[in-house]
Amino acid sequence: MIRRAGITVVVALFGLVFASVAFHHVERQSLPPLSLSYVKLVPQELGAPNVITGILLTYRAFDTLGEVAVLFMVAAGVGLVVGAGGRLGAGSHVEAREQARQASEIVRTGAQILAPLIAIFAAYIIMNGHLSAGGGFQGGAVVASCVMLLVLANPWQRLNPDFLGSAESLAGVLFVLIGVAGAILAGGFLDNRVLPLGAFGAFFSAGAIPVLSVLLGVKVGCELSVIIDGFRV
Amino acid sequence: MAELIGGILILLGAVLHFSAGLGLLRMPDPYTRMQAATKAPTLGNMLVLGGLAFYHPGWTLKLLILIYFVLMTNPVSSHALARTAYRIGIAMTPQSKVRAQPRSEA
Repeated sequence: MIRRAGITVVVALFGLVFASVAFHHVERQSLPPLSLSYVKLVPQELGAPNVITGILLTYRAFDTLGEVAVLFMVAAGVGLVVGAGGRLGAGSHVEAREQARQASEIVRTGAQILAPLIAIFAAYIIMNGHLSAGGGFQGGAVVASCVMLLVLANPWQRLNPDFLGSAESLAGVLFVLIGVAGAILAGGFLDNRVLPLGAFGAFFSAGAIPVLSVLLGVKVGCELSVIIDGFRV
Repeated sequence: MAELIGGILILLGAVLHFSAGLGLLRMPDPYTRMQAATKAPTLGNMLVLGGLAFYHPGWTLKLLILIYFVLMTNPVSSHALARTAYRIGIAMTPQSKVRAQPRSEA
């Protein structure tokens, strides 16, 4: 009874907080000065119609590099914690994998049909990051969902950790190399103007942003795939 | 006329979606809930997307691709979930007339 009353009080307090937020919220009629300068600068300086990608992959590209590094540490941590148990009890692990049921025919056929579609969609998201909603992070997550579907359909199929590791490292090294090239040839570390900006809104435009998007997509996709691989039997 | 047909199709789809939500809340066990959450939204999605095609004839090809995607994903994922529930031995509701015992081995 007392617990119930406590829950009611907490819910009422939350309601008060949200009600005050909802009633005092006024929609802005104009952009604040900082946003306004970004909205003007990104298409002018970087040649990217998508302002957010311009910020993420040029003005704040160093932050993006840090985020990918965090994701890499997560993948390494999962491999360390989950993978270590597998190495200790290697025999029982192999047994468990042999007992893993085969996926049903419906799931296998569905995966065969869907996996190429999902892969094409991922490539589209990654390559159009500088033009519309999307980019390397989102596309990489879609790549990982494709890998997840294939793993569900073929439980015995092993992912090749060497390939994933080297592809991810290569993407990371190229990302940093483009950043260094920006520091030498253009305005600073990870400046996108090392490549020609091209026509505004064209597929190959906005300098190095599409290249960085692809590298990010490869890196995020590989890292998430490693995490998925670490969590299965 | 086309807008009227499209509106009726979208309304039918919305009714099916509502019945799916009702089924999710009211059905007694996972299998019947799964059935409510699979059949009705699949048809409901197709009806809503088909109705949109009447409103915007230019979108028809994209909407057809979306319908194909819904047809490929929703039944397959529900099948996988129901099969797993059956395999790990989740009991059916006592009201169920069919007495199929969950098996442990295929």
